Amino acid sequence: SMALNLTINTSNVPLGALLAAEHVKGSVQLSVEEGKDTRLQVSEYFNDANSISRYLARVAPALGLYGANMMEQTEVDHWLEFSARRLCGQPGLTEALGELDLALSLRTFLVGHALTLADLSVWAALKGHEEWPSQGKSFSHVNRWFSFLSSQVPFTSVGNKYTSKKS
Amino acid sequence: MALWELSSLEKYLGLKKPNKYSTQGDKKVPVLQNNNGPPLVGLVTLACHLVKEAKRLELLGDSAENRAVVQQWLEYRVTKLNNCTKDNIKTILKDLNLYLQDKVYLAENQFTLADILLYYGIQPIIVDLAIQEQEQYVNVTRWFDHIQHYPGIRRHLSPVVVLRNRIYSSRHH
Repeated sequence: SMALNLTINTSNVPLGALLAAEHVKGSVQLSVEEGKDTRLQVSEYFNDANSISRYLARVAPALGLYGANMMEQTEVDHWLEFSARRLCGQPGLTEALGELDLALSLRTFLVGHALTLADLSVWAALKGHEEWPSQGKSFSHVNRWFSFLSSQVPFTSVGNKYTSKKS
Repeated sequence: MALWELSSLEKYLGLKKPNKYSTQGDKKVPVLQNNNGPPLVGLVTLACHLVKEAKRLELLGDSAENRAVVQQWLEYRVTKLNNCTKDNIKTILKDLNLYLQDKVYLAENQFTLADILLYYGIQPIIVDLAIQEQEQYVNVTRWFDHIQHYPGIRRHLSPVVVLRNRIYSSRHH
């Protein structure tokens, strides 16, 4: 198969797409480099973080990052949308966290029984959110889920590398 | 009851040659005759022995603190859970629920032998819980559902149906 090239904008790092890239690296030929604009070069190119994540998950279907069936795929889409619309810088974070907390009370991962794009994109949105650290304590289920992922590879490396750079 | 657990554990660990166990006493404590020394006695002793044989030491905890936590829960399994009566099931579920509030696994973020043996031991209790009770002990239920779907663990145990959305309370307090 053809080699993929992901360029990431280091002043506004697409953490979710970067995590997806780290996950599929062993399955597809993919190079990651730093540049001015975030884009995934295929025959055309994608420049939206969720589109990049979706494409990467689909070229490596064996990893199950897009869920195990159609229902799970729809759930993944729901959370991708949720992270883009409700968690990325908009007001009303507390309300969104309340919903997330309820969903995570009976779940270890957001969708199904394994890691999916839903976890990657919601984790990334919270990691990059200025208000998350101060709000974390009020939402115990979100907090447990967030620390669990943060302790796993590649969340540790991606999180450390790019959030220290930002500050 | 402990013998099938040991053979399930052998399969999970990928040990090719199954051991032959016997039991001793009224409580049917498992025993393994050891060619190189005295017989090994007791569920926890044997389970730890199998983990070492399979060279999967990380299942006993990857730090000094985690190793202590794993031993504590293994002991809890054979002392508290194995002797649990109808009356103290609720106390056990309540304590465990509080403990698991901020953890994915018993040793925080690491899957260990403690999760496997506590899952085997608590399965008969969880099977009998009503949906409303599952929600009452939400952290136990979540942990249990995660372990029963963990690759290679459930074996012949029937899966317990767990609702993943809450129906009795839309608020978490």
